[in-house]
Amino acid sequence: MNIMETRKNEPVRIGFYVCHCGVNIAHMVDVEAVAKYVATLPNVVVSRNYKYMCSDPGQEMIQKDIREQRLNRVVVAACSPLLHEHTFRGATEAGGLNPFYFQMVNIREHNSWVHTDRLEATRKAMALARAAIQRVPHHKPLEVKKVPINPDVLIVGGGIAGIHAAITMANAGKKVYLVEKEPSIGGHMAMFDKTFPTLDCAMCVLSPKMATVGSHPNITLWTYSEVVKVDGYVGNFKVTVRRKPRYIIEDLCTGCQECVANCVYKEPKFPDAFNLGLGKRKPVYMPFAQAIPSIAIIDPEVCLNFKRGKNPDGSYTVSDKCKKLCVVACGDRKAIDFSQKAEDKEITVGTIIMATGFKTFDPRRTPYYGYGVYPNVYTALELERVINASGPTEGHLVMRNGKEPKRVAIVHCVGSRDENTNRWCSRVCCLYSLKLAHLILEHTDAEVYNFYIDMRTPGKSMEEFYNRVAEEGMHLVRGRVADVYPDPNDTASGRLIVQAEDTLTNRILKIPVDMVVLSVGLEPRPEAEDLRRLFNLSCSSEGWFLERHPKLAPVSTFTDGIFLAGCCQGPKDIPDSVAQAGAAAAEAFSLIDKGYVEQEPNTAFVLAEECSGCKSCIPLCPYTAISFNEETKKAFINEALCKGCGTCVAACPSGSIVQNLFEDQEIFSEIDGVLAPLPQ
Amino acid sequence: MAGVAEAAVVDRTTTLQTLLNTPAGKRMITCIQCGTCAGTCPYGDYMEFSPRLVINMLRRGFIDEVIKSDSLLRCVACYACTAKCPRNIRLTDVLLPLVKEQVLMNNTQMPAEFQKSLENMHRYGNPMGESPRKRTAWTATAGVKVPLIAEVKREVDVLWFVECYTSFYARGQDNSRATAKLFAALGVDFAILGNDEKCAGECGQMTWESGLFESLAEYNMKLFGKYKFRRIVTGDAHAFNAFRFRYPMYGLTQPVEHTTQFFARHLEQLKPKLKKPLNMVVTYHDPCCLGRAVGCYEDPRALLQAIPGVKLVEMVHNRVNAVCCGGGGGGMWLDTYYKQKGMDRLSERRVKEAIATGADVLAVACPYEVSRFEDALKVVPHDKPMVVRDVVELLAESIG
Repeated sequence: MNIMETRKNEPVRIGFYVCHCGVNIAHMVDVEAVAKYVATLPNVVVSRNYKYMCSDPGQEMIQKDIREQRLNRVVVAACSPLLHEHTFRGATEAGGLNPFYFQMVNIREHNSWVHTDRLEATRKAMALARAAIQRVPHHKPLEVKKVPINPDVLIVGGGIAGIHAAITMANAGKKVYLVEKEPSIGGHMAMFDKTFPTLDCAMCVLSPKMATVGSHPNITLWTYSEVVKVDGYVGNFKVTVRRKPRYIIEDLCTGCQECVANCVYKEPKFPDAFNLGLGKRKPVYMPFAQAIPSIAIIDPEVCLNFKRGKNPDGSYTVSDKCKKLCVVACGDRKAIDFSQKAEDKEITVGTIIMATGFKTFDPRRTPYYGYGVYPNVYTALELERVINASGPTEGHLVMRNGKEPKRVAIVHCVGSRDENTNRWCSRVCCLYSLKLAHLILEHTDAEVYNFYIDMRTPGKSMEEFYNRVAEEGMHLVRGRVADVYPDPNDTASGRLIVQAEDTLTNRILKIPVDMVVLSVGLEPRPEAEDLRRLFNLSCSSEGWFLERHPKLAPVSTFTDGIFLAGCCQGPKDIPDSVAQAGAAAAEAFSLIDKGYVEQEPNTAFVLAEECSGCKSCIPLCPYTAISFNEETKKAFINEALCKGCGTCVAACPSGSIVQNLFEDQEIFSEIDGVLAPLPQ
Repeated sequence: MAGVAEAAVVDRTTTLQTLLNTPAGKRMITCIQCGTCAGTCPYGDYMEFSPRLVINMLRRGFIDEVIKSDSLLRCVACYACTAKCPRNIRLTDVLLPLVKEQVLMNNTQMPAEFQKSLENMHRYGNPMGESPRKRTAWTATAGVKVPLIAEVKREVDVLWFVECYTSFYARGQDNSRATAKLFAALGVDFAILGNDEKCAGECGQMTWESGLFESLAEYNMKLFGKYKFRRIVTGDAHAFNAFRFRYPMYGLTQPVEHTTQFFARHLEQLKPKLKKPLNMVVTYHDPCCLGRAVGCYEDPRALLQAIPGVKLVEMVHNRVNAVCCGGGGGGMWLDTYYKQKGMDRLSERRVKEAIATGADVLAVACPYEVSRFEDALKVVPHDKPMVVRDVVELLAESIG
């Protein structure tokens, strides 16, 4: 590395700058004292404090000092490097230095924001500053590498967010892989009846978009498929997608459903997942009328032509015991293939959009609402299916006993705002509860009670919607339901008592109702944790995928090149999910159209003369960046693949792996600096 | 569903004035006034100031109005409000006792029956006013040796805290005899405190007759200090509650188990001994201090299901949703007062649900419940006979 020689003979001249960050830092850290102290340290030529170092004048001050004071190192004590390291490296470069002669000290997130003792916080700032001052003389000039970006994109999840992102990118000419776990795209939105606040039919607005996805030349749609492996990095992800067998050859199936009509089961017999078990389907079925792709699927658990039960590897054994009337009906199309196996597809993409959605809260976790015990207690999603014209009752609002309810209670905040279950507000339940109340009134003569804690209707046209629906004449009771139990005076009819305090009249209400609808909240999907690991994402403590910044990078993640859309990031309604999907697509574009990604030069390299060839490092590398040169018997690190995690550096028994920006001398000097005694 | 959080979050010096500055009080500041507490309260219908309203009156500085009313004497300390509170606010064992103490101080008309019991506890160490010298009289009929810890003169594994109802009342003694028999059958190294034992004082604590509780707790702690034992086991869910949540503030360090928890932990050893089939349908009533207070719902059910011939059925309200027998928080001695106020008896409400299950046996795990439910069964009409038995009594019967 000949760059080590460039400034070899020049004495180190450090410029130090401590930022007030308005009062964010200055209120807890005596910035003048820090500057004064750092001025006394070896190699420090200038030491200043300034109100906003990130401002233009702040940056110009650094550049001016570099030129006039002949600085060759710069240290700024301010906020997190996550926010402004890039800014100050830029300023250092603009002043004529290699940007890696800069070092940042975090005295805001790591200091002023978390401490309450000004004296101690100031001393900590001094120690941290000195660590950087002792480290920075060992810095070397480094170069940022540019790596080309693959323009193809992977979108995981085919709900409304994934669909919108896919169409946006495909329309702009990008090649999109859309992977969906279920046999059809559509997600939760496909299950809804009407949508608030406009009350337009969910499927009427969704199905054209679904059809577009199905026929778009730039979209490769893989339903009934799951991502099983992700390698690589931004611009160059290698992804393995497992296509589960549906026992129907997609290219040959025309969606005619003659196999379904001719199945040996004359009547549908098995719980229909799309209708949440409220309806029935056959072993061979179409997920729902508007399913995309419009391709049948066979359920091997119940199809007579398979043996019951999975093999240990997850596959099923063909029994060949059925008359296979489906195959006869399919005829020359020959679309049915009982021997189909799971197939792994490998693709390379430059960016990924996660749109994996949510699950609804299981109200068995609040047992006092009687869900799963009393048949007339429904979840809101079940009611969506019951009320839907394509649902199990063809849109007639009847209960499991076939009767139309005369009184319905809608219970808000089930599995939301509750320390015992989920602490968050699920954001959509108040509005969908009002919508369901409206639909119940539209479908029946029932009296409707909405039991709420606070009516939350933010967003464009939402309060107006609340007002409109309230005028239709429902009971709005401000009180959280405490108990649901069978009417002790009428145990035969299945009537239930809903008990709650009407907090505005200070009275306990015990309302007899025929039907209870639980407005269940939104939760992270159970597989979110597996996905988090697979895609190397972060999750909030609740389990939602974590955005890079809650305000300023709401669809980015901490993994470059992976973006978030829809409810996998947190509960949101359809307009917000679509908006976020568009934003995620735009973020992906901005990467793709730039054409390359810059790589932080914090990569590791092997000192070949010292490497003993023990190969310890090779299996440890999470990025498969290390190979072994059989001729020289030395390890070799591919700079393009190395992400700078440092695992190999720590593991190398002979100490022959060095990492840029984290060389031993740099780290030890930093430690010495932070531990050295401070003046009293 | 878990029970109420375990950690003690107030100390002994907390008052209504300082409450909002404590960790438990901070939770009260977060109250969203949803009314779940009032809606689930078994006496919510009869409260001028519902728990929800009490919190807001406290936050607004209007608590004096609450104290002037006797509304809070209707609280039976059943933990229903606390267990369902979406903000984890400790109403039952933190806020409401502090309010009740002030209510008692402000009310010149203290219900006589209630006052008498508290006086008895103070004077005799038991609420019924029995002679302390008779506390161990039941052991003569135990059928097995019940060692006194003072005579054992070494460390024992289990200090069995027998408690009052289970020492003095005939039906309570059935519970004690059964427990002794089970201990003996399992070969447990146990001993009791004997006539020196005094009421754990939970009833005092829950009505926040704090001075009384304090003196009983300090007395018992001093007594504990004289002996060596590894754990406390008690069949009284209320004593269990006091040892679990309050006594640690007085220095108790040994773990505490309810008898059902202890026997459930030894179920594998117990099972082969449960030979006699009982052939009965049993419904189980969750005691508030065992169920909602600590989330122990399944241990007693596991014991019942281990008995050959027992078929377990559930009442409409079970586990976290169980209806209190009405005996907690001083309710044991407020029946006359509640009747005067025109309130229905919770024990009757509860046995109606038990009767509706068609069970032969109403199984319980708290000594208050035996007498309360037996009395209630005398007045609630039912066609099929029903008996009240403690879980340990059924276990002992199955051992034969």
